[in-house]
Formats: sequence, C-alpha cells, structure tokens
Amino acid sequence: MVLPLTGCGANTGRQNGITTLRFMQNKPEVVDYFNQVIKDFEALNPDIHVIQDSNEGNFVPGLVRNDPPDVVTRGFAQATADFVKKGIFADLADLPAASTINPEMQELISSWGRYNGHETSALPFSVAAAGVIYNRDIFEANGVAVPTTWDEFVAACETFKAAGIVPVYGTFKDPWTLAQGMFDYVAGGSLDVAEFFARLTAAGAGVSKAAPESFTNNFGPALPKMLQLASFSQSGATSKNYADGNAAFAKGQAAMYLQGPWALSQLVAANPAIRLGTFPLPVTNNPNETKARVNVDMALSITRNTPNMAAAQRFVSYLLEPAVVNAYNEKNAAFSPLKDAPAVTDPQISGLSNSIREARYFQGAVTYFPPSVPVNNYIQSFVYSKNGDQFLSALDDEWRRVAERTAV
Amino acid sequence: MTTTSLAAEAAPSPSPRTGSAATPAVRSKRRIDPTYYWMVVPVLALFAFFITLPALVGVFFSLTNYAGYGDWKFIGLSNYVNIFKDPAVLQSYIFTFVFALTTTVVVNVVALAIALGLNAKIKWRTGIRTVFFIPMVLSALIVSFVFNYLFSNTLPVLAERFGVTPLATSILANENLAWLAIVLVTVWQAAPGATIIYLAGLQSVPSEVYEAADLDGAGSFRQFLSLTLPLILGYLVINVILGFKGFLGTYEIIVGLTGGGPGMATQSVAMRIFSGFTGGDYSYQMANAVIYFLITLLISVIQLRLIQRRGVSL
Repeated sequence: MVLPLTGCGANTGRQNGITTLRFMQNKPEVVDYFNQVIKDFEALNPDIHVIQDSNEGNFVPGLVRNDPPDVVTRGFAQATADFVKKGIFADLADLPAASTINPEMQELISSWGRYNGHETSALPFSVAAAGVIYNRDIFEANGVAVPTTWDEFVAACETFKAAGIVPVYGTFKDPWTLAQGMFDYVAGGSLDVAEFFARLTAAGAGVSKAAPESFTNNFGPALPKMLQLASFSQSGATSKNYADGNAAFAKGQAAMYLQGPWALSQLVAANPAIRLGTFPLPVTNNPNETKARVNVDMALSITRNTPNMAAAQRFVSYLLEPAVVNAYNEKNAAFSPLKDAPAVTDPQISGLSNSIREARYFQGAVTYFPPSVPVNNYIQSFVYSKNGDQFLSALDDEWRRVAERTAV
Repeated sequence: MTTTSLAAEAAPSPSPRTGSAATPAVRSKRRIDPTYYWMVVPVLALFAFFITLPALVGVFFSLTNYAGYGDWKFIGLSNYVNIFKDPAVLQSYIFTFVFALTTTVVVNVVALAIALGLNAKIKWRTGIRTVFFIPMVLSALIVSFVFNYLFSNTLPVLAERFGVTPLATSILANENLAWLAIVLVTVWQAAPGATIIYLAGLQSVPSEVYEAADLDGAGSFRQFLSLTLPLILGYLVINVILGFKGFLGTYEIIVGLTGGGPGMATQSVAMRIFSGFTGGDYSYQMANAVIYFLITLLISVIQLRLIQRRGVSL
C-alpha cells in the first residue's frame, strides 16, 4: 500500500498558525448548509480554516497524487467499503464522538468489512430511510389506514383500484427505481439481506446455482410478491421515468410511491399543498417484522496520512456534536446516528421512526452488488418477462463470474 | 460516427491514385523538403502520445487484475478466457453486429433513394437538400433524447387516441422491439452523410450515358439497375464500409434512448467496455476492448482490400 507521507497540497497545510483543512462533501443540495456549519466551526476554532470541496471526481486522483482531502464524507456502500479495505482512512475508534454513535448504525458501516479487522474507518453522520411514500389525502378520502401487514397492504391496493385510483405509481423505465423500490423493499423485508451477502461473499468463487448460498435458493420465495407489487402500478408504467413519476405523484395521480426521502423535496416543490407520509413496506403478516430500507447517506472519515490529523479530528468531533448532527438530519429528512437522538417529528418520515428506533432496517440488496454487475437491468428484465428462474440464475452466474475473476 | 469524417475520408478514395503514379522518378532522388516532415511529425507524435500509448497501456492492464485504482498484479490471459465464458458480453456482440448490419443496409437504401430524388430536377431542390441535411449537424445525444420523448410520451398518446393498441406502450420498453427504435434514430441521423456521398457519385455520372440509354429505349428502373448502380458502385462500397465501421462503435444514441435496456436488450459492446471505468472492472473490460479492436481491425483490413480492388476497376 502506497500512501502519502508528505501530502501537503496547494490549499491545505499550515500558514501563519492557521491550519487549512479540505473537507470533501459530495451532495450538491447541502453545500450551502455546510458552508454555514463551517462558518460556525471556524468562529469557535479560529486556528482552523475549512475548505468545502464538492468535486468527488477528484477523490481517487487525489489519492493517486498523494493529496487527498483531509476529511471526507461519502455515502457508505460498496464503493466506500472498497476504499476502507485498501486502508485509505484513519482509525476513528478512539475519538470520543465514536462512543456517542448508536452501535446498530455503526454496524451498517462495519458490516461491509473493517480494515485490519477492527478499525473504525468511518462514523455515520446521516442515515436516510426509505419506505412507501403515500398521499395522506388520498388515504383519508378512501378510508384506508396505513397497512401494517402484507395482507392489509394488498387490501389497500385493491381498495384504491376499485375506486379507480392507481395504487402505486410505477416508473419502470428507470431501472434503478425498480431496484431500490420493489426489489430492495421486498427482498429486505423477507430475508436477512446482510447475512445473505455475508455468507455469499464468504463462500468466495464458484458458488453454483444449486449451492445453499445462491440467489436461486434464497430469493425464490420473495419473487411472487415483487411481481404482485409491480402489478399494482398503472398501465404504461414501462414508459415512465423518475421525473415523470415525481410529477404525476405530486399531482395526486396515485396513492403510493416506492421512493426514498430524496424524492420528498421534489414532490413538495411540484405541489406545495401535498400532504405526504412514509411507512415501511410490510412484506410479511407479522407487523413486528416490518423493516425500512436505510442507507448511510453520509459517513465521516479522515484520510490516514493527513498532515493535519489533530485539526481534522477536531472538525469531525464538532460535526458529531449533538446540536450539529441532529440539526442537519432534522433539516434534511434523515435520521441522526446518535444513541440519544431526539424523536423525528417531520410528518413526512415519522412513519419510519419506529422501525429505525427498534433497529428494524436493512441496507438495500442491490447496494451489495459490485458495480460491474448491471443488476438494475436484470431486475427490469425480470419485471417485464416475469421469468424468476432465469432472473435468479442470471444473478448467480454474474456473481460467480465476478467472484472468479476478482479472486485471482 | 461523425459525418465530417465520412465526407473527409470518402472524398479522396474514388479518384484513382494519380499522385503516386504521376510522380516522376527523378524527384525521388532529390533531397526531400523538410517542410513535409514538419507537417507530419508533430501529428504523428501527438497521435502516438494520445492514442497509441494509452492503447498500449490498456493492453498492458488487460493482463492484470487492476480495478482502476489500488493494488494490482499480473494474471496472464485469464481476463481473456473469462470474456469468452461471459454470456452478457457475447450477447452484446450479437446485438452490436445485428444492429450494425441492419443499420448499414437501411441507411444505404434510404440514402440512395433520397440522393436519387435530390439529384433529379425537382422544384425547390436546394431548399429540400438543406432540410435533409439538418440531422447531420445535430448532436446524436440531443436527437436521441428528443426521440426518447416522442417514443415514450407522444407516440403512446396518439396510438391510444386512434386505437392502435400495439403502439400504446412505448416501443423503448419492449425488449424485442427497442433495438428497432435505435435503428430508426441512427438511420435518421446517419442517412444525410451517406446521401452526400451518393449525390457526389450521381453527379459524377455523365448525362450522355442516360441519353444513350434513352435512345436504346431503357426504362428508368432499367437505367438505374444497369447504369447508375454500376457507375456509383465505388461510392456504395465506401458508404457500406464507413457506415458499418461507425455503427459497430454505436454508443450515444443508445445511451439517450434506452441506456442499454430494457433489461440487457440493447447493450452494445462499446457500452460494456465503458462500464469497466465506472464498475471497478477496468482490466476485464480492457481485455474486451482489445478483442473488439482485433475484430474491427480484421474487418477494416478486409474492407480496405475491397476498396483497393474497386479503386483499380474504376
């Protein structure tokens, strides 16, 4: 492993007693928010100057040039986990803030693998939870309560259908919407996704279709529910994309929409009067098994060889102060990772808060796939052809081929 | 492929290679003017640095397990072996070749028909010619986004109104038909370039041969088959060769229309190769790129042979 020893870039370093930190933050919609956070931090820490760097494309080249940003926040999934495995990030276990994090949320990061088997390479800052977005007005007008079991969900869909209302708005033209909604929700609700992928990865190369770890032997029972869920979409869903879906759902053209919190602001922008809520999709008939799909939307890391380690640690500690991290998540329809985070009051996502508090959540199955497997396209293909055996054996084949060629 | 390269590459080919034949033997004895080197060498150096060298680096990494960053080691030819066992890659090859063959045929039929029409003494000929050439100056990506909207929204609404049920859902959402939409848009975009070449060919046919044919009583279809077609055969060969080569590298129109979907139905080889950059699958797709390069090289060599043979007989 080659990493910087003298990583002093043009903009970072110490000058006139002021340490300059570069903070990589890749969410364009919160750049202004973080500029304010940085201003507050600098007022309290006059010896540190922080530059917000929103150019994520520069991250890998920065590593190659031995000039990475000092503090990094990224969504945490496959790609960031790869960086962790290569030892790019420093161990944050000794940071006092690390002990304030909810261990269940920290596990969302640790489950991807830890450097040297024990290090804490990233601390969660914001956890986004996704479920079924629903139109409260349409639910109330039809006397439908939020379903807590699969049977109730199906009954609710039938009620809407009978009333001439589209139960679930489908945007099948964008394969990722099928993947994160229909596929991830049903898969995550019916099996332990994290455990499945851990076993599959541990089995290494050469997992055949018939092996107990295979997709064929684990995902089969979930497929009919996926197709049933897809069938509750409007006719012509195949030619609608995500933007069409947002526009139509905001106009009240459907009762439910399988999207994450990222869609909420767009729906409200299109129709400020809309009253929205979110509930986790019940996939079984036991309400206590209902789980929400979560992703670590932002996780904080410090690059291992930063020359400004002390300043970087102070900045990360500041960001994880309850006032800062809780305020961010409240403002951005997300969940705070802290142990004693206040209850979520935002009516748009409060329906998910029970699942989050009780740690009934999963990371989407598609996020575990290596990016070279076009899993979204396979899911779309499955919804169109309804051929489950073909779909699962395609996933098994793809997974095996990638495992074989990366195992060498 | 861009139409400028079509025109530029096509222009010199039909003319017999008078340059080399006419050069007197004495000239070669004289010292060569260094200006010619100044014209060639810088371009050669740039080409070597920006095209050849990166290509060789790519070939090198195709023999490793490099993900695009981080550690790597040599793994010999196993990327190449795995490519041949990958049905997804095989499917992209089949799609690309079927697409390229179909599009080449359709583009040439359409372009030849348009060229014949535009070469005739019709009213407003200049104006109509301009209209036909507009697709050439539009970016393929923009064209495909516009068609995407038409296929997904406008066409289904119209079909529903007039009761044409098979068209009521977008053909882009149909795994068996989506490729036809891509052929259609590609033809729309590529036909003008081919038309220009055919027009140039048609204008090179002397009018006397038609007058003679008229006297002999040949009908217009007979004239086309026995006179026009043989006389512009060189142009046809050029259009087929350049078109086929371009369509093998098809990328942006597919990105704009289907993004490779629905499912895996319209993934071209170029798209699979490009996925290696974002997918941490760099070395594997580099091996794919090397194989594809060898295939296109083979096709190009065969085609160059064909061009030379035509050049002699013209």
